[in-house]
Parts: sequence; C-alpha cells; structure tokens
Amino acid sequence: MDEGGNTRGDALVRARGLGYRYGSRTALHDVDLELGPGEIVGLAGPNGSGKTTLLKLLAGFLRPAEGELLVLGRRPFRDAPRMLRDVRFAFAPPALLERLTAREHLRHLPAIGGPRPEPREIAATLSAVGLEERADESVAGFSFGMRQRLSLAQALLPRPRLLVLDEPNDGLDPLAVLELRALLLRLRDEEGMSVLLSSHLLLELGELVDRLLVLAEGETLFYGPPARLTGARAGVRLVVSDAGAALARLRARGLEVRAAAGGELELPPESLSLGEAHALLRDLGLESYRLHRPGLEEALLELLRARAGEGECP
Amino acid sequence: MIVRLELLRLVRSRRPWIAAATVAFFLLLMLAGFYLYAENETGGAAEFRYTFENRSYFNGLTFALYSFYFGFLLVLPVFGALEGAAQIAGDASSGRLYLLLSRPLSRARLFAAKLVLSGTQILVLTGVLMGAGMLLGLVAVGWGSLDLYPGVLQMTDRHVHLGQDVALLRFLCAWPAATLALSVPLTLGFWISTFGRSPLNAAGLAVALYLVLYVVSEIHFFEDLRPWLFTSSMTFWRGLFRPDPEWGYLAREAAKLLGFALLFGTLALGRFRRREER
Repeated sequence: MDEGGNTRGDALVRARGLGYRYGSRTALHDVDLELGPGEIVGLAGPNGSGKTTLLKLLAGFLRPAEGELLVLGRRPFRDAPRMLRDVRFAFAPPALLERLTAREHLRHLPAIGGPRPEPREIAATLSAVGLEERADESVAGFSFGMRQRLSLAQALLPRPRLLVLDEPNDGLDPLAVLELRALLLRLRDEEGMSVLLSSHLLLELGELVDRLLVLAEGETLFYGPPARLTGARAGVRLVVSDAGAALARLRARGLEVRAAAGGELELPPESLSLGEAHALLRDLGLESYRLHRPGLEEALLELLRARAGEGECP
Repeated sequence: MIVRLELLRLVRSRRPWIAAATVAFFLLLMLAGFYLYAENETGGAAEFRYTFENRSYFNGLTFALYSFYFGFLLVLPVFGALEGAAQIAGDASSGRLYLLLSRPLSRARLFAAKLVLSGTQILVLTGVLMGAGMLLGLVAVGWGSLDLYPGVLQMTDRHVHLGQDVALLRFLCAWPAATLALSVPLTLGFWISTFGRSPLNAAGLAVALYLVLYVVSEIHFFEDLRPWLFTSSMTFWRGLFRPDPEWGYLAREAAKLLGFALLFGTLALGRFRRREER
C-alpha cells in the first residue's frame, strides 16, 4: 500500500463505480474499492448504508446494476463457484445448519468443492475460535456468540486468500473481540491473508484495518487510512462561555470556524498560530483552547452530520 | 459432498419422520374405517357393498390398494408440493442459502442435490405407504387374490381378478410409476419456491395450485382442458391393475408426466440460477 492508501500490485478485490438498486431504491452508487494481498480493509457506516449489499455483491449473490466488480479477477455473479475457491464469507447473522454439530460443520462445509479437512485441522480451527469443548454439540443449542465463532471457523477452512466478515464482533464478549483481532492480525501477518470486514465497532476497526471505506446511503463518504479520517478532523478546540458571540466575532475576523460538540468552537489547526490563539484568549474572553484530534467514532459521526447538513463539510 | 451434507440435514430434520407418522396415521384411519364400515354396514353405500358382500373381495391387497389410492390422491402430492416448496425458499429465509452458496458450488449442483434427495424422499415415502399398507393388510386381514369391481374409486369398469403373484408384481410396478407422477407436484413446488424467500407462502401456493388443478381436471365442465393438465394423468398407474394393462397408454401418460416434471424442473433451475439472493 502506498502513502495515499492505494493498493499496489494485483488487487484481490477491484470495484469501480459499483452500484446496485433494490427496485427503484438505490442501495449502492459509484463505490470504488481495492483490496490487495495481505491487507485488512474495514467497512463502516450506519444501518442501511449499503455495507451488506456490498458484501452480497462480492459473494455473487447480487448482480451489479452499474460499474465493475472483480474478485480475484472474476465477476462474482457470473463466476461465483471458481471465485469462491479462494474466498470465504461469514455473514451476519450467522446462519448454521441447526441439527449438525460444530465439528460436522467443519467436516462437511469445507468439503463442498474442496478437499475434506483433516481431523487435526478441524480441531485446531475449533480451538482457535474457542469451541473445542462444545465441538460435538448440536448448534441448535448455541448462543449467538458461539454461532459467530463457528461461522468464523467455517470460513477459515480451508484457508482462503480473502476472508470477508460481516459484523464478526456482534455477540462476542470483550475477550473474544480481542482474540478475534489477534487472530485476524496473525492470519494477515503470518499467512498473508486479506480481510474485508464490516463492523459497527469503529474503535475495533481503527485498531485493525489498513483502510476504511465509510458508506452512507449507498455512497462513499470516506475511503482511505483511518488516520487520514481522524487527521482531517483535527483542529483547535476553543472552550468559550458564549459560543454564539464568539462564533460571530471569529467569523468577522475571516476565520473558518464551526460549532463542535459540547458548545465548543473548532478551527482548522493551520488557521491560527499559537500567538494568535493567545491573542484570541485575551480579546474574545475565551476560557481555554486545546489541540483536538477526534477518535474514529467522533470523526465518522461528524462526517455523517456534515453529510446530513448539520455541520460543514471538511 | 453437497449430496452427503444435504442427506445429513434431511435425516436429522423432522420432515421425514412427520411424513412417515402421517402415513402411519392415515393407514390406521383407513383400517379403522374399513372395519367400522363392515360392522355398521346395513345396505348403505352401494359401491362399497361389493367389498363386504363377500369377504374374499376384501383382503389385505384390496386394503393396500385402496389405502394407497386415497393416500396418493390426498397425502402424497401435498407432501411432494410441500417438500419442493421447502427447499430453496426454506434455505433462503433462514439465511442458510448464503452459507451454502458462499462455498465453491454451482447453483445447478446445489439444485440437483436438493432435487435428487427430495425425489428420493418421495420415492421412499411412496414405498412406505404402499409397503406399510400391504403389511398392515396382511396382518389385519390376510392376503389373497385381488378382486376389483366398478365403483366409486373408478379403478375399473368391470370385474378384475388378479392372482396374488400378479397383483404383487403390479404393486411393485405401481411404486415407481406413482413416484414419477408425484415428481410433478414436487418440481412444481421447487419452481414456486424459487420466486420468494418464504417457505410457507411457497408451500401454500404450491399445494393450492395442485389442488385447484386437480379439481379442475376432475370436473366434467373442464373436459377440454384435461389433456393439458398434469393432474388428469396423476393416477395413470391404476392402469397397471387391469388384467391386460394398456402399455401404450401407460407409456404416453408417463411421458406426459415426465415432460411436466422436466418442464417445472427446468423452469425452477433457470430461475434459481438467475435469481439474486437479497
């Protein structure tokens, strides 16, 4: 990946101007995405933003209405069986074969179009997701979290080049979330596996992904390294007693300023020097100022607010 | 491997056992009906009187044939339509279709596996109904030659007498012939199930459609339509119980039903291959 967050070499996933419609409703429009070998790309966005639609397009469940989509050089809808030799999916909510045991899932599902896994492989995978003690129980009695683990396990056999996970953290306890993160990083670092995962846990995505695709109402809101999203939102936060008056006076001075959370005002970091900030403190009756770099959640929230017209675009 | 997995799912599911239990209940009901009728018979229904006037007419084979005929008309096609309708739509509604289709498996192979297994299930169920009816008839009444008379069942227009060996052979032939007929409501159910994601809707529509077509094929008013309806050929296997079966007629009817099954199966596969899994 280069400094701009673009994929080098042969991309496993290449989407250009991708779009999909459910009848007259546009679910996805003009989305670009590239995922290279050994990369982890996150997919974020509010409910109904098009994340699952994108994953279904990748799996070949849906036929793109516009644009181009290649996964491992193949068009998913037209050539799904060959593409799926090297790609595994775990969809949310996890759908399993109710009257089979966890071990039977791992014995039979990977054998569809592939070699039957060795018992030691099955045992190791069950152990990796923490299901070894419940391996021979029917999944009908599994909790949601255990289903998530098994759904992930079936996607790991046999090892794919690309792993696509839909909300894999849902239903997992905090320790399991950490274990999943460690597992995905290990798969990437040791086996060169590429991962595309959608999640509502932005903190988790921020820790894990090389790049982030944020969707809103089917369109790309942000695409790049998470640091670029948070960095772009960094600024100087001014804590004031009368935000309305201060806002007017700052704008009268030609400064680009906007209202931030908590009644504070925010200026882009390059808009004023330290000396100017001190002068502002004196002249405008500001209480304090500080450099503010928002977390991924806050940055995304502001991005969404800006899109909805509640704030200004960066 | 998909066949093995689908077989495992089928064996572990409740569907075959529910079907078997229904067949057993139906046979017991038929047996009770026959005995109750015999006890209470005081010159009521004229058609059935043939059966009980002389006990030699009513033996285990007669019971098995009548049970099979009624079961074939009412129970088996409904199970066939239900089974077909449950396949694609059932997996789609539960999300399990995502699980299966995200494996390197063509939709045609998945479809074929489901069709073969549900067809086999119908074959077994048909055999269970026939075999259990014969066994029950043997135990409860005893076998003998098979005598049939004209009556409400429209099995024959004249007295038919078949020796026990010949009758058993005809039963054996009727098994695959009846299964072939049942493959039409089965594939019809498959086709309907490819249009939606609700197995209940698909099953309801498939059963309703079958029943409507069946009723239409039985009403004199629609006589001109009969050649075009598969339901008018469903009971063609009854021709096997004539002393000299008309093999040409049987072959034509079997070909017609096979054609309908292939048509519905092809439509279902075509629809399933193009269908988007939303």
